[in-house]
This record gives sequence, structure tokens and C-alpha cells, in this order.
Amino acid sequence: MIEVMLILFAPLIGGLMYGFERVLRARMQNRKGPPLLQPFYDMYKLLDKQAFIINPYHTVLGIMHFLTLWTVVAFMIFGQNLLYIIFLHLLSVIFIILAGFSVNSVYSHVGANRELLSALAYEPILIIVAVGFFMMHGSFDISVIRQNSASIVPLFLLFLAFLLLIPLKLKKSPFDAAEAHQEIVGGVEIEFSGVYFEFIYIAKWLEYVFVYLLLVLFAGNNAVLGTVLFLGVFLLVNLVDNATARIKMKHVIQIVLGIALTLGLLNLAGLSYV
Amino acid sequence: MFRKYRKKSPWILHYNAGSCNGCDIEILAALAPKYDLERFGVINTGNPKQSDIFLVTGPVTFRSRERLVELYTQMPEPKVVIALGSCTCTGGVFRDMYNVEDGIDRYIPVDVYVPGCAASPELLIDGVVKALEILEEKTKAIEKPFRLFKEASSENGIINRRHSALKVGEKDEED
Repeated sequence: MIEVMLILFAPLIGGLMYGFERVLRARMQNRKGPPLLQPFYDMYKLLDKQAFIINPYHTVLGIMHFLTLWTVVAFMIFGQNLLYIIFLHLLSVIFIILAGFSVNSVYSHVGANRELLSALAYEPILIIVAVGFFMMHGSFDISVIRQNSASIVPLFLLFLAFLLLIPLKLKKSPFDAAEAHQEIVGGVEIEFSGVYFEFIYIAKWLEYVFVYLLLVLFAGNNAVLGTVLFLGVFLLVNLVDNATARIKMKHVIQIVLGIALTLGLLNLAGLSYV
Repeated sequence: MFRKYRKKSPWILHYNAGSCNGCDIEILAALAPKYDLERFGVINTGNPKQSDIFLVTGPVTFRSRERLVELYTQMPEPKVVIALGSCTCTGGVFRDMYNVEDGIDRYIPVDVYVPGCAASPELLIDGVVKALEILEEKTKAIEKPFRLFKEASSENGIINRRHSALKVGEKDEED
């Protein structure tokens, strides 16, 4: 029952996280920042706005992206197979990439291209993380991983690789070239407007829930460690976001595939020898 | 019940129609830590399809007018236009020059004029607050149905609506 409630309220939790993050980032820049519920005010305003439909496929693919991502979060909360969840998440990313390519806007195409490249960069690492969990616990099931004790120490290099991946997944500096509000105006989300933009906006919140749910898997059944991990990484990601500048997509792929993949493979090799 | 939250999230589209960058720097100053417009939910989106307030600076130069109208038509209703700076309101010091169109209200309807060369961040904030009031009115006006014609008059059995069209701003008698 509590799982169903959690799934239903997952977008709200994501929205609160996003609102809190905006306040936190403002405080880091010595600003007062918007109210905590600002994302929900945005949502409420967007309901009233006129919606332009560029073409039906574009709109439907945007909604599909949101629905698939919600399914991913639901499966994570239910404790399903981790490998399956990662591939389903890839499907949701492919939906938004197709939506980006389905319109004629150049910015949308550039954004979709970069989204595709970043998917190329992080998918192998997500799979390696899943393999690492499998080697530790003998199962891909999240419910099994949650019942076992914390695996952050044997999987520490994988944890570092996953840390590199969080800014890329949440589109934060220095890896936010896929969204890049100043140059390509949001990339794939540029042609969405009104109610249909809301789906993309909630999907962004659900992405937060997805990434941090993956993160707390490293803590296993240790709730305190999970909370500490979540808070610490949340602060660290926002600090890095505020302190660094955007780098090119080419360098993003080089850094992520070069460093994170090496770390992940090293960890797997170490695990197989132990 | 939620009506009062409607104006808490104005997203701004800023367009530089040939400005000298003076007003643009003041916009940045208003978004920066001292004035911090984001505490009212203001975001500088840069995407016309998701913004509510069209903030224009600069006298409209010959080259920029097509983009100006294009951006205006790409913004979904309800929307508000702010003309920021003397140039944007009237042409300012550039008035009557051969390459300048003397203000944006020749091309798009303007709701708030913010004068000043350059307009200070305080004036800009006042302008945005005024624009939010207008935005709320416009949102209400969209929801309310209105009539284009009064009752049709019939003369000699011929129904005629030619003289019964409502003028702009004229109230229907039934209201």
C-alpha cells in the first residue's frame, strides 16, 4: 500500500526536490531564491497557457517519455529487476530523442543529438553498476539488494563512477551541454508548450527520483547511510553545478567514458578476483 | 482558490531589438543577487513557446523587426509585452534615424512602457509587477466568453447583423 502511495506521489516528491534545489542554489549564490513550492506554481501557470502542437507525434512522444519514466520509478519502488529498469529507462530517453528529431527546429535537433551522445556515455556505466550489484548480491532484483547490507565499500569505484554520471543525467554543469539553456535553449524541450511542456517538466522531476533511488541502492538496508548519501551527494552535485562551467559534448563523452568506465571496469575486475 | 498563485511564475523572454546593451545589463543586474528577481519566480527562459512576458529592449532596427514580430507570434496566450528603456518606448535618442523604427509599438501591442536610459532595475521590477497585474486580467479575459454581435435586427423579414457588431470595449446590453 505504501509503495502505491509512494509511486503516486513520486512526481510531487521530485517537484519538492527540484524546488529545494532551486532554493539551495540561490543560497549558494548569496540570493534569496524562489519559494519552495515554485515548481508547482510553474505547473499551475502552464495549465492556463495556450498549447501549440507542432505535430501529433512530437506531443505523444513527449507524453510517452513521461509515462515510461514514471513506470521506471514505479518498478524501482516495487523492487523489480535492475537490468530491466535500466533498459526501460533507456526507452524513455529514446522517446524524448525521437520527439526532438520529429520537429524541424534546429535547436531541437542539436539537443536530441547531444541527448543521444550522453545516453551513449552513461548507458554502459549504468549497466556496469547493475553488474556490480549482481556480483555482490547474486541477483539483479532491487528488493534483494535492499535487503542486503551496504555495498558501498566493495563497490566504491563504481560509486565514484556513478557520481560522475549524476550531473550528466540531471543535466547539471559541467555536463549540461545536452540542455544548455544559453546556447540551444533547452534542446529537446524547446518546442513543447503549455500543457505538453508540463509532461516534460514532471519528467525532469522524475529523473531526480530515479537517479537518487539508484544512488541509495549503494546503502543497501542501511537507512541512515542512505540518508547521508542522498544529502551529501545532493549538496555536492549542486555545489559542482554552481562552481563549474559547461564543457563541450565531446569532452563530456571523453571524461565520462574515459574515467567512469575505467573505474567501473577496475571495480568489476577486482570483485571477480576476490 | 488557487487564483492567487497564477501570477507567481512569470517566465521572461528577453529580446534585444538593436539595443546598446545598457538596458540588457540592467536586466542582468535585476536577476543578480542584489535584486534577485528569481525570488518572485521569474526565470529568463529564452524560449518564446514557454514564456509569459516579452521583455524588449532597443529601438527596433530595420533588421530586427521581422524577428520581433515572429517572436511575438510564437508566444502562447496570455502574454504581456514590456518595452524597456526610452528607445523601446519612443525611439529615444535614435528617433528619426534612417535605420530605426522608433519604438516597438509600431509592430506589436505594448502593455507596459518602462522609460529610462538605461532603465534602472527598480523600474524594471515595477514594470514586471505591473505586467503581472495585466497578465492576470488577460488570463481572466480569456476564460470569460464574450459576444461579437448584439441581437440581430430583422427588417421586413430579412435578418441582418451588419449594424449589430460590438465595437472594441463596448459592453453588451445583457451584461
